[in-house]
Amino acid sequence: MLNTIILSYVTFIYFAAFMCYLLMMVMGKDLPGRVATWLSAGGLLIHSAGITLRWVTSHRLGIGHAPFSNLYESLIFFGWAIMLLYLIMEWRTRNRSLGAFVTPLAFLAMAYASYAPDINDRIQPLIPALKSNWLIAHVITCFFGYAAFGLSFGLSIMYLLKRLDRGEGKNIFLRLIPGKGILDELNYQMVVIGFLMLTLGIITGAVWAHSAWGSYWSWDPKETWSLITWFIYASVLHSRLVRGWQGKKIAILCFIGFSCVLFTYFGVNYLPGLHSYAKS
Amino acid sequence: MTSSGSQKKANPFWRFFSSVKLTIVLLILLAAASILGTVIPQQGQGAVDFAKRLDPAWFRFFEFLDLFDMYHSLWFRVLLTGLSLNLVICSIDRFPGAWRRFRAVPKPDRNRPFADLPADRTFVVRTDAADAAGRVGRFLRSRLKRVREKTSGDRHFFYGEKGAFSLFGVYLVHLSVLVILCGGLVGSFFGFEAYVNISEGEKTGTVVLRKGMKPLKLGFEVRCDRFRVSFYDDGAPKEYRSDLTFFVNGEAVAERSVRVNHPVHFRGITFYQASYGKIPGGKARIGISGGGPDQGTKTVEITPGEALSLPGGEGKFLVADAKGDFMGMGAAARILIRPEQGKEIHFWIFEHPEKILPRLPGPMAKSPVFNASAFPPYTFYLKGLESAYYTGLQVNRDPGVPIVWTGCFLMIAGFFITFFTSHRRIWIRLQGTEGKTVVSVAGSAGKNPVGLERELAKLTADLKALLSRPDGS
Repeated sequence: MLNTIILSYVTFIYFAAFMCYLLMMVMGKDLPGRVATWLSAGGLLIHSAGITLRWVTSHRLGIGHAPFSNLYESLIFFGWAIMLLYLIMEWRTRNRSLGAFVTPLAFLAMAYASYAPDINDRIQPLIPALKSNWLIAHVITCFFGYAAFGLSFGLSIMYLLKRLDRGEGKNIFLRLIPGKGILDELNYQMVVIGFLMLTLGIITGAVWAHSAWGSYWSWDPKETWSLITWFIYASVLHSRLVRGWQGKKIAILCFIGFSCVLFTYFGVNYLPGLHSYAKS
Repeated sequence: MTSSGSQKKANPFWRFFSSVKLTIVLLILLAAASILGTVIPQQGQGAVDFAKRLDPAWFRFFEFLDLFDMYHSLWFRVLLTGLSLNLVICSIDRFPGAWRRFRAVPKPDRNRPFADLPADRTFVVRTDAADAAGRVGRFLRSRLKRVREKTSGDRHFFYGEKGAFSLFGVYLVHLSVLVILCGGLVGSFFGFEAYVNISEGEKTGTVVLRKGMKPLKLGFEVRCDRFRVSFYDDGAPKEYRSDLTFFVNGEAVAERSVRVNHPVHFRGITFYQASYGKIPGGKARIGISGGGPDQGTKTVEITPGEALSLPGGEGKFLVADAKGDFMGMGAAARILIRPEQGKEIHFWIFEHPEKILPRLPGPMAKSPVFNASAFPPYTFYLKGLESAYYTGLQVNRDPGVPIVWTGCFLMIAGFFITFFTSHRRIWIRLQGTEGKTVVSVAGSAGKNPVGLERELAKLTADLKALLSRPDGS
C-alpha cells in the first residue's frame, strides 16, 4: 500500500540524516549539519504525511481507526515522536550534535517496522478490546514518554563521551558536544517529560483496562515492566533532586532506564500476558 | 536532611524511614521483585505447568517465598508498606522546612541578591525616586504576591514573589501515591472479582469468586437474553455482545447490553464481557435408516433426554448425552436404546464420522461404543445439533476505583506543580540621584534558572516602559 511505501522511504531519509550528522561531527563543518537538519525536517514532514495517509486509507477501507493498533504502527509512531522531540530540542538549543545520537534510534525503529520479516504492515480492523477512545490517549502518551527517554539515552551517551574530552579541543567530535552542565540539564528535562508522559500512559492504560478487562491493574507483564521503568526514573529524579546526584551517576541510571523502556516495548512480547496485539 | 526536632532525629526508627537512600533502595528492590514476577508464571495454569517442571527442592523454595503469587505475597506487601512508611515519614520530616520557607518573607532591603548583577538588570530613568517608587509599588502589587517595601533615605526596596505553592507540589505527589495505594486496599477489602457463565435464555443470581472459587449471591438475578459475536471479513472478531435483563425480586427492572470496553453497572456491581462459548442446548437431528416398515431413512428432531419409539417398534431410543465439539471435530451424541427385550445398549454417533473415526486408536474404533450400527438393523446418523451460546461475564465490585482515580488526578496535578512551576523571589532597588533613579532588578528561584532569567528580563523591560512614561499610567 502507498502509505507503507512512503514510510519505508522515510527510513532512508533518516539514515541519510544520521550520516550527515555524523559527517558534521567528524569534519567539524557546518554544511553537513545544515543538510542533516533539512533532511530530518523533510523526513518528518513525509513521515507525518505517511501516517495521515494510513489513517485516511483505513477509513476508505471501512475499518477506520487511528494508526496506533499494532507493532508496525507503534514503531512508526515511535520514530515520529523521537524525530519531533529531537527537532524541537535542536531548534531550542541551536545545537546539532544530539542528532548523531538520536537519528539512529528513529532510523532503527523505521527500518524494523518496514523491513523485518515478522512484522505485519497491513491495515487491520480493530478487535473488540482495542475499540476504545483510550487507545489514542494511551499510545500517544506512552510513545512520547518512550521518545523522551530515548533522547535522554542519547544525551547520557554524549555525557559519558564528553567525559573523555580533556578540553584541548583536538578531537572535533568531542568538542562539538555541548558542555557537561548543559547535557546534564537537558537530560534532566527529558527525564521529567518522559516521566510525566509515562505516568499519563500508565494512568490512561489503567482507565482503559478497567473498562475492558474489569481491573485497573492486573500485574500483566507489560504493566509490570512499565511500573519497573517508572520506579527507575523515579529513582533518577529522587537521586538528583534530593541527593544532588549529577552527571555520570545519572547518565548510568538513564542508561538502565532506557533498557527497561526497550524491554517494556519489545522484551515483554516473549512473556505471556494480555498485551498480545502489540506483538505483530 | 532537615529534621524538625532533635528528639525525632535521635529515634533510630525515624532516622531509618526518613532517609531518601531507603526510598531509592526500596524502589530498586520493588523493581527487581517485579521483574521476578514477570519471569515466573503467576497463578493459573501457567504457574502449575511451570511448578511441575521444577526440581522438588526448588519448588519448596519457590513455594516458601510465594513466588507463584508474588504480587500478593507477604514480603511484597512488606516492601510496599515500607515504601508507604518511607513516603509518609520523609514528608512529615521535611514538611516543616517547606512550611517555614513558604511562610518566610525575606526583608526587602537585602543587598546580597544584587551582588554580581548583570549590567542589563540595571537602568536609569529620568523620574524622581519617590514618584518611581509609587509607580513600581502599584505595578508589583498587581503582578506579584506578598509585596513588601522599605524606604531608607533615597533608597527604595521592594520584594515580591510568585509560585510559593510550588514548594508543596512534591507533597501532593507523595500524597497521591498513598491515595492510590489506599484505593487498592479498599478494593481488596470491600470489593470482589467474580465470574459467571450464563447460557442464552438462562437466569442466575449467583456468581463464582475468583479467589477460592466460592459462590456469591448477588441479591438480584441476571438473565442472558442473547449473545452475539460478529466477525470482520478476514475472520477477526468484531464485536461480542450480551443482552442482559436484570431481575429484582423476580421482576425485570432493567435491560442492558454489555460489550467489550462497554461494561454495565447495576446496583454497584459491574458486568464485563469476558468470554463466550457454545453449548449443545437445543434439539438433535437424528437420521435413522435400515429398520421399520419401509426401511428407508427418516429424520427426527429430538430433545436430549426425551424417549422416542424406534420406527419398527422394537423399543425406544433417546439422546443421552450431546457434545457440541468432540475432539475439536464437530458435534457428537450418545444414543441409548432401550429394547423391549434384551439389554440396554448405548453408542456415540458423530456429525462428521469420517473425520473422527480414523483418528480413534484401533481397538477403540472397533468398540461397539463407536458403532452407529450397534443395534441392527438400524444405523444412526447425527445430522445436526442445535447449539446455544453462553456468555462469560466478569462480575466485579470495587469501591476503591474512585479513590484510585482521585489519586491519579492528584499525581498529575502534583507533577505539574513540582516540575513546571517554581517559587520565584524578586527584589527591586531604586536609588535616587538628582531627579534621576537607578533601578536594579534581581531574583532567585528554587528551580528553572533559565525561566527566572526570562522573567527578570521581561520585568526589567516592563519597568523601563512604565517609568519612562511621563504620567506613569
